[in-house]
Amino acid sequence: VRKHGQHMKLFKNKGKDETTLRRQRVEVSIELRKAKKDEQILKRRNISIHVKEENPSLEKDRSYEIIQPSLEEIAEAVNGDDTEMQLSATQATRRLLSRHKDPPINQIIELGIIPRMVEFLGRADNVPLQFEAAWALTNIASGTSEQTRAVVDGGAISAFISLLSSPHMHISEQSVWALGNIAGDGPLYRDALIARDVIPPLLALVSPATPVGFLRNITWTLSNLCRNKNPCPPLDAVQKILPVLIFLLQHEDKEVVSDSCWAVSYLTDSCNDRIQVVVDTGILPRLVELMDSPDVNVVTPALRAVGNVVTGTDQQTQEAIDAGVLTVLPRLLRHMKPVIQKEAAWALSNIAAGPCQQIQQIITCGLLPPLVELLNKGDFKAQKEGVWVVANFTTGGTVDQVVELIRSGVLKPLLNLLLAKDSKTILTILETISKLFLAAEKLGETENLCLLVEELDGLEKIENLQNHENDMIYRAALDIIEKYFSGEEVIDLEPQTGQDGLYDFSVEKQDFNF
Amino acid sequence: MELSDANLQTLTEYLKKTLDPDPAIRRPAEKFLESVEGSQNYPLLLLTLLEKSQENVIKVCASVTFKNYIKRNWRIVEDEPNKICELDRIAIKANIVPLMLSSPEQIQKQLSDAISIIGREDFPQKWPDLLTEMVNRFQSGDFHVINGVLRTAHSLFKRYRHEFKSNELWTEIKLVLDAFALPLTNLFKATIELCSTHANDASALKVLFSSLILIAKLFYSLNFQDLPEFFEDNMETWMTNFHSLLTLDNKLLQTDDEEEAGLLELLKSQICDNAALYAQKYDEEFQPYLPRFVTAIWNLLVTTGQEVKYDLLVSNAIQFLASVCERPHYKHLFEDQNTLTSICEKVIVPNMEFRAADEEAFEDNSEEYIRRDLEGSDIDTRRRAACDLVRGLCKFFEGPVTGIFSGYVNSMLQEYAKNPSVNWKHKDAAIYLVTSLASKAQTQKHGITQANELVNLTEFFVNHIQPDLKSATVNEFPVLKADGIKYIMIFRNQVPKEQLLVSIPLLINHLQAESIVVHTYAAHALERLFTMRGTNNATLITAAEMAPFVEVLLTNLFKALTLPGSSENEYIMKAIMRSFSLLQESIIPYIPSVITQLTQKLLAVSKNPSKPHFNHYMFESICLSIRITCKANPEAVGSFEEALFLVFTEILQNDVQEFIPYVFQVMSLLLEMHKNEIPSSYMALFPHLLQPVLWERTGNIPPLVRLLQAYLERGASTIASAAADKIPGLLGVFQKLIASKANDHQGFYLLNSIIEHMPPESVDQYRKQIFILLFQRLQNSKTTKFIKSFLVFINLYCVRYGALALQEIFDSIQPKMFGMVLEKIIIPEIQKVSGQVEKKICAVGITKILTECPPMMDTEYTKLWIPLLQALIGLFELPEDDTIPDEEHFIDIEDTPGYQTAFSQLAFAGKKEHDPVGQMVNNPRIHLAQSLHKLSTACPGRVLSMLSTSLNAEALQYLQGYLQAASVSLL
Repeated sequence: VRKHGQHMKLFKNKGKDETTLRRQRVEVSIELRKAKKDEQILKRRNISIHVKEENPSLEKDRSYEIIQPSLEEIAEAVNGDDTEMQLSATQATRRLLSRHKDPPINQIIELGIIPRMVEFLGRADNVPLQFEAAWALTNIASGTSEQTRAVVDGGAISAFISLLSSPHMHISEQSVWALGNIAGDGPLYRDALIARDVIPPLLALVSPATPVGFLRNITWTLSNLCRNKNPCPPLDAVQKILPVLIFLLQHEDKEVVSDSCWAVSYLTDSCNDRIQVVVDTGILPRLVELMDSPDVNVVTPALRAVGNVVTGTDQQTQEAIDAGVLTVLPRLLRHMKPVIQKEAAWALSNIAAGPCQQIQQIITCGLLPPLVELLNKGDFKAQKEGVWVVANFTTGGTVDQVVELIRSGVLKPLLNLLLAKDSKTILTILETISKLFLAAEKLGETENLCLLVEELDGLEKIENLQNHENDMIYRAALDIIEKYFSGEEVIDLEPQTGQDGLYDFSVEKQDFNF
Repeated sequence: MELSDANLQTLTEYLKKTLDPDPAIRRPAEKFLESVEGSQNYPLLLLTLLEKSQENVIKVCASVTFKNYIKRNWRIVEDEPNKICELDRIAIKANIVPLMLSSPEQIQKQLSDAISIIGREDFPQKWPDLLTEMVNRFQSGDFHVINGVLRTAHSLFKRYRHEFKSNELWTEIKLVLDAFALPLTNLFKATIELCSTHANDASALKVLFSSLILIAKLFYSLNFQDLPEFFEDNMETWMTNFHSLLTLDNKLLQTDDEEEAGLLELLKSQICDNAALYAQKYDEEFQPYLPRFVTAIWNLLVTTGQEVKYDLLVSNAIQFLASVCERPHYKHLFEDQNTLTSICEKVIVPNMEFRAADEEAFEDNSEEYIRRDLEGSDIDTRRRAACDLVRGLCKFFEGPVTGIFSGYVNSMLQEYAKNPSVNWKHKDAAIYLVTSLASKAQTQKHGITQANELVNLTEFFVNHIQPDLKSATVNEFPVLKADGIKYIMIFRNQVPKEQLLVSIPLLINHLQAESIVVHTYAAHALERLFTMRGTNNATLITAAEMAPFVEVLLTNLFKALTLPGSSENEYIMKAIMRSFSLLQESIIPYIPSVITQLTQKLLAVSKNPSKPHFNHYMFESICLSIRITCKANPEAVGSFEEALFLVFTEILQNDVQEFIPYVFQVMSLLLEMHKNEIPSSYMALFPHLLQPVLWERTGNIPPLVRLLQAYLERGASTIASAAADKIPGLLGVFQKLIASKANDHQGFYLLNSIIEHMPPESVDQYRKQIFILLFQRLQNSKTTKFIKSFLVFINLYCVRYGALALQEIFDSIQPKMFGMVLEKIIIPEIQKVSGQVEKKICAVGITKILTECPPMMDTEYTKLWIPLLQALIGLFELPEDDTIPDEEHFIDIEDTPGYQTAFSQLAFAGKKEHDPVGQMVNNPRIHLAQSLHKLSTACPGRVLSMLSTSLNAEALQYLQGYLQAASVSLL
């Protein structure tokens, strides 16, 4: 006999499960995978053929190669007093550091010439030397943390910050680049730069007249100044940068917009107070608009930024909803790139973790059909997030909303995913099924849900999971089977058998207090 | 214990004794070993023995004892003593790997298990050099050793397939990958090379392929949680080699065994699993390799034979293709017409063919055949896999695939037509092909629910199915007959009704076929047709339309039960039940003969009940016979009792547990048919029904409760006068039931009947006890279900004995108890009560408390008056539960609540809902209004002032509505 009702008391719309609260972007300390390919680049080496080298004739070029000095010769020349030699040695260094494969960064560092190069940065009288040194140092700073440290320890920070205001645009541009590499190393150097007041001169470079190429570099460096956590960048620095970012977000160049979005995504990947600082700028509608961009390099960071916002408070999430995020997500859930599907589903899962009014908006904005589609045939990474959407929805939704969810056809793909090769996903689904049963009990629809689960081949799958090697999965499956597909438990009021062989009707009185 | 020869000798003796068949020798020896296992050096002594003992049997015994010892003791449980001393632990870890590797296979397996148990606890932190030690052996070149390492690694790593992601787990996996991935890859490459150098050495190949299987399994474990960087970087190596292994064949590895899969098949199956893992989880990265695997796997399919040993490989491989072809971005791999044609022709069609093994099953193992073919327990069969592939392909290529197959179907039908007796299998394949092509969605209940519109099902039915069934010889081409009947069955919703009507006599005719499959399918098809719904939710096929066939249908159904192999055929019995239910009074002329046959059958199967479904439908059929007959002629109940009681007595006496719940249900039905006082034959049985042994079996509880209820309804006064001494026993049953969370509602059913029907004086002395018992349960383990039943009961009590009596008995148990129950239970929980009758009982009871209980008006309980009234109005105004319409005819075992429970409720033994307040109160709202009016007349002004000061506005509005409808007003 199937049991009714006794779990109703457990069912509270508002009582949210700890496990299905909003999930911040996961900090993975251990990663089995390759570093993500869709992340923004932290440090960049300048290997472009610079304007100055486009002209030299072939012979001259070849002659350069022929007279490429040895490392010892370089050290000697750089440390010497001959300005001509200094320039050509610095240039040779920069060349070595700019070659496509295996730049000898460590060997150059070992020559001990960095302090000297830093010194060259201050040679306002010799612009070519300043430039070559800046370039070389940029490329050294683009390496490992160790290598970046060599540049910083050489005293390059102040020198580069001064050069931001150089009258020569190519020099200030190269400095922007170098500073970007230093900032990208991590919160320590990022904050060191901020403490030396890098921000005002950097922002001063942004104007409607700034050439696009230069602007790209500035935006990228700004994004590195916003990047990284533990700690996050100082609040006053963020407040200085934000107005410029908003300006840059309007730019017509895709790269500028993309890196601006990345910057905002870093700022929102933080505590709710920091999210609020970004939300207060009124930037959300523009970000939502960019989520819908045809350019995937813009969509990715814009989606991340907005996805981070909806990890925040209910009010912050509401602002994202008001900015229209729910009207864009359906398309992103169907995006051809799996990682976009995944991020979109992640964002949706956090909106579904909100109060039932927000869940209602998910329904009203037509998110259920694309969700079901995603669960049916999306990429696995995205399907996993989709399962979380359903889990959160089921936890926080009203009974009517849960009924709507089931009507949308979510049960079939959900049950199919019990075959997924991922234990956590299986457990989340089983927990969700339990919650669905609680809702069904409330409606007196337990038997219909049992039938539905059976018809969709779910019962067979749940029964099989009773043999799963994972203990928690086995128990969760057993629990469902016992509660809804069988069941019996006895408590202690059992009568004794009397002398006539029948049950003895008797009980001892106790004090009652309900 | 010292590591001495003397101790080794002692241990040897005791180990030997543990193998003794005589428990008197064995048990003390086991006890002794247990008593010394806590001593230092004990595990080392065992290891020494398993290595050095002269006797092989002692070696093996020591290894098993060692493994069990590790299993019991290695884990260190918090707050419990460490059961193995630290020095022993260190010594074990230092020695076990080389020992395992140098041992013969039998012992190696035990030690390998032990290593993985230890590894589960100690690896990696407390056993840092394990991996290096294992990896170093890869260099040994000795594949006995290498396989030992691989097997151990497999048992250590396979948990990665099911554990949750965690930092701890992933740290371990990362560590394993760093130490193991590269050596494993190198070993993989080296092993493959050795396979080609030893291509002509059968025994070497066997060892090498065992290694490859283990390597492929390790690959699966290491890649399960996420795609490791190493394997992404080395995907080329692994996938290229996996790919070529899929295409590899070597005569030396082929086995003669037709059933058991050989090494080659096992390896290829694992590779299919690995490819499927990548395709499911790492689609983005795997994309470049996927097309090659698709090609390789279908080539594999094309070249793999029909033997049973390939079944798993083939169905795995087809399922792989089926899962890939549904994905939009792989559409292009299949869309080329030639590709599609070749998949259809070379993969699908051959795997749909009726094989010799199928033919054998059809004839000799019909039950299994039916289960696979009809009930879908065919998940791993080739036909099912091929069918899934057709469905997958139809997602994008329905037109072309239908086109290709139409050509095939036509040519196969032509082949058949040329020489039916030789080529009948072609027609079988054609029908199967049409079926799988046309069916897009299917349920047990309704057959095909969504069909391919490009297939003309009716035309095929008329031209190719009906002719077979119309043939005069029901025993010719049984497989085709079964196919045809199955076609009707699954396409019953697609084929027009007039065609179904034409088919019914044909199906009835095939009930006579000798083939078990054929007559079973015929019965099943009839049963399914009879459950189809037409307009107004009535049956599609009416009793009138069946009139000409009643006699032949019943005759053939009962005759089919006499055919060899079908004496307990559940499909036939179910068809009998369904026919009765459909035909209703037109079966009455045949009842005498029918009931004789059913009783004989019952008597026969009760000797050894083995077919639960058959038995269930048999009892349903008996119930139907009784109900249909007694409806027309109530006096007939006596003749049923005469026919059945003899068998029932035998069943009860022999304690045939499977049938007892059914017998009680049929008896309840019969007893309820009686209009007068309870017959003495029933009363004689009454004391026996209270026997605890019956109530210990959960399956008996619902039918026994129902039977006791019938006793109370018909014979309460007889019980009170003639069996008063059994009342405590009856209440004891109630207590037993109330003590169970699962059965408490049954206890309330019983209690309600007692309160309703027993003369009050007969239960007077027990009343207080009853309430104490209920309060105790309420206090200690309340559940929603219990509260609902409790509320209904106290209100029924109130209706029967009056509100004042209720208040008095509560307060006599404990002062102010009545107020506490009102405040803590009734007012907050009353909304939970569901069911029309239950709600009505509660409404009438509460109305009585409000209007007929003086303490409610002039004690401290008065403050509860308004909240109680408000709760009552809430109960009225909640939306009503949907009542369940009378759909008994369509009921199925699968539908009835109580899946997998011991109790099988008979749908056709069902009884009408009983409304104990029905006569007293028609409309409870009006009843409330009238009662309030009466109260207000008795104490003018009081009611109105309470209402106006504290009842909320909405409730007041409803209440005014009731007063208006009752045409009364309050004073």
